[in-house]
Amino acid sequence: MKDHAEKNRALLHFIVLPTILLTAGLLGGLRIDGQTRQFVFIAPPLVTLVLAILLGSLFVRAGAIDLHRWLSIEQPMLINASHLLTLISLFFASAQAFNSVLPESGLLHWMFSFFFLWTLWINQFSNFDPRRLLRSLIILFGTAFVLKHLLVAALYDPQGGWLKAIASTLLQGVSIDVPRFAPITGYISFFALALYVGGLMLIAPVPAPPAEAAVNKLAVREGALSESSDQTSLE
Amino acid sequence: MQTRLIQIAGITWTLVYAGIIVWIYATEPRSFKEVATNSQVAAGVYEINQEKFNNALALFRREQFRAARDEWSGADPAQKDPRTQFYIGYAFYREGWGRVYYDNALFKQGLEAVNRAIALAPNGTLVVDDPNLQMHSAAELKAELEQGTETGWKDVNPLKLFRQRK
Repeated sequence: MKDHAEKNRALLHFIVLPTILLTAGLLGGLRIDGQTRQFVFIAPPLVTLVLAILLGSLFVRAGAIDLHRWLSIEQPMLINASHLLTLISLFFASAQAFNSVLPESGLLHWMFSFFFLWTLWINQFSNFDPRRLLRSLIILFGTAFVLKHLLVAALYDPQGGWLKAIASTLLQGVSIDVPRFAPITGYISFFALALYVGGLMLIAPVPAPPAEAAVNKLAVREGALSESSDQTSLE
Repeated sequence: MQTRLIQIAGITWTLVYAGIIVWIYATEPRSFKEVATNSQVAAGVYEINQEKFNNALALFRREQFRAARDEWSGADPAQKDPRTQFYIGYAFYREGWGRVYYDNALFKQGLEAVNRAIALAPNGTLVVDDPNLQMHSAAELKAELEQGTETGWKDVNPLKLFRQRK
């Protein structure tokens, strides 16, 4: 029974988690063209990398990731390599999650980027615990998703609607240049964000050490203890 | 031991999957079909659709150049076959050729296609052994297309009305 739990934990930690994060990274930049219905892959803009770094720093500050336990000189190289890959996957998934909810160009792109930067910068000086940080991120990404894929998309809906009528009255003379994507882009973005948040939920602040590593560590400690007790008995 | 195996599998899988994602973003496929074609190219098993190629050749010989180009594009969707690209360039040349003037836009597209053919050909040399063509090498076709896009005093030479399409 314990063997199964150990195996499942290892599978989740070393295979499922990076896969979820990388899939979020893959889908975060995918759009479907509104006219041709072809794939459009948008690489993460520079600003999303800056946002991902700020978010990463927030994870560390809030204790959602204990870097010293994720990457430690005392751990076997294989575990460190695996953890490093997971952290890199998390970085790119974060960048792509921002990419997914940022308008692609124009005034709105810079407005959204500014609000993200501002929020993340202010959060650097707030007191967070991992759970509060996750809730705050869900709200942040949720709001941006609603704004981009529901409100802004509705503005450019060719069939129009009450929202388009209000916006065109309010923003008379102001040009907001946003490329038109098919409605399925919103679904893809939703799925990417869901995967990203799911991945964040799976990340433990302190990764559970695999049984072998723990046994090795214990053996080393016991060895050290017995050596020191031998020395004291000799004295 | 099993945990170690899972760790090794995890690292390998993560690296492979990340590589696939980088490759997808680098090649920017526009459909699942293009993903499959790009995979074939990457794996080195890409082949053109010979049936479509032959159909296109028949259309080309009947002087239906646009239809021929469409067929050739379908035969070589990844634009990786030098011979097909040469023929596409030739179709642009023949359609754009005029006794009084050349169609610049078509000649430019032809130049792009023939440049692709030269880039794909081993050592940059491509010779197509087709008795129905008057230009057999990509270099000849390229020179002809380049001359067509250049403007100069020779354009007002009345003798050009007697020139022949190749």
